[in-house]
Amino acid sequence: MKKVNSNSLLDQLQSDVREIILQASALKQMDRHFLEQHPSADKWSVAQVLEHLNFYSSFYIPAIEKKLHLHQSVPQTQFTPGWLGNYFTNLMKPAAGNRIVKKMKSPKNALPSAQPDAGKMLEEFLRHQHQLLNLLKIANSANLGAIRIPTSLSTLIQLKLGDTFRFFIAHEQRHFVQIQNILHAVKHTVKEEEIFA
Amino acid sequence: METDELKKFVSLIYPLTVEEIDAFAECWHSITVKRKTILTAAGETERYLYFVLEGVQRAFYLADENREATIVFTYPPSFSGVADSFLTQTPSLYFLETVTASRLLRISYEQLQQLIKQYPNIQQLIFKATAFALKGALHRHVELQCFTNEEKFKTLLQRSPHILHLIPHKYLASYLGMNATNFSKLLATVKI
Repeated sequence: MKKVNSNSLLDQLQSDVREIILQASALKQMDRHFLEQHPSADKWSVAQVLEHLNFYSSFYIPAIEKKLHLHQSVPQTQFTPGWLGNYFTNLMKPAAGNRIVKKMKSPKNALPSAQPDAGKMLEEFLRHQHQLLNLLKIANSANLGAIRIPTSLSTLIQLKLGDTFRFFIAHEQRHFVQIQNILHAVKHTVKEEEIFA
Repeated sequence: METDELKKFVSLIYPLTVEEIDAFAECWHSITVKRKTILTAAGETERYLYFVLEGVQRAFYLADENREATIVFTYPPSFSGVADSFLTQTPSLYFLETVTASRLLRISYEQLQQLIKQYPNIQQLIFKATAFALKGALHRHVELQCFTNEEKFKTLLQRSPHILHLIPHKYLASYLGMNATNFSKLLATVKI
């Protein structure tokens, strides 16, 4: 696997998270109605996407925190991604031009409730993102390859800390493309309703 | 040396001895960042004071979905960072991002505190720099409240004529608190 500079990786991931914070902050200014409306009966609302993301944050952030707390590892200049880490990250990462090429189904345990409160979901989401930023900063003093984090699939499948960050953030980016698509669809339908009302 | 520009800039604000300025310059580290990179997000506490070697940065406030209020631009040679969040170590209300690819020096809050404790003159330097920043911020407040669009436009271009070519006009319009259409009209009609 191709080696990358650990600090540049962490810097890049931090700016990715900040970009997500910017987009989530913009949602905060938006009419709640748009965030809780479904583009069609079988599709998620923005609030549901956020609940889904919060589900994974509640799993991975404490898992990373636990391993970074009192860790004794020494930072390495270079980080070598693992094959599984690369596989998961590439699976999640939106394609060029912010497109989702291959749709995926969420695992049953990560399905959102029917009508989550958009305001609460957003607050929680932003709180998680700031925790994540702090963990990325702390990770500057840790070995991204030696520390391993269990995945939500199974505690037996573990990823290198550096890969967990990459795949976790790529997953969030993926769903923010979805959020933009939902908003586009939802605003469009509202406009049509207004026209034909 | 990367810190030469910094030393020159600082000596114009407050004179330091050779020993002081060397100790000061030693604590800064350089970074390069791509354009449109967010350096500090709203809600985050600013950890660094930056000095700009290359590129343009801006701080903005997210007012609503489609409206960002640009608070400040920074370009060489000047300090950058979310100053109020840095000095008070409280969460920032603003986003700081690079407008163009940038080369920056930065010092952490802890390192600067260390220097301030050790060297009273460095404390004076920071005090002076903060005072000038406050003077600038208050003056800008007057401009925003009392000047007409045309006066704002003229003042900006007299103070920093080069930024017209450096910074996208939509950001300049936002900085002056007007919409992009009015800004274009002024650009076409006002003679400087």
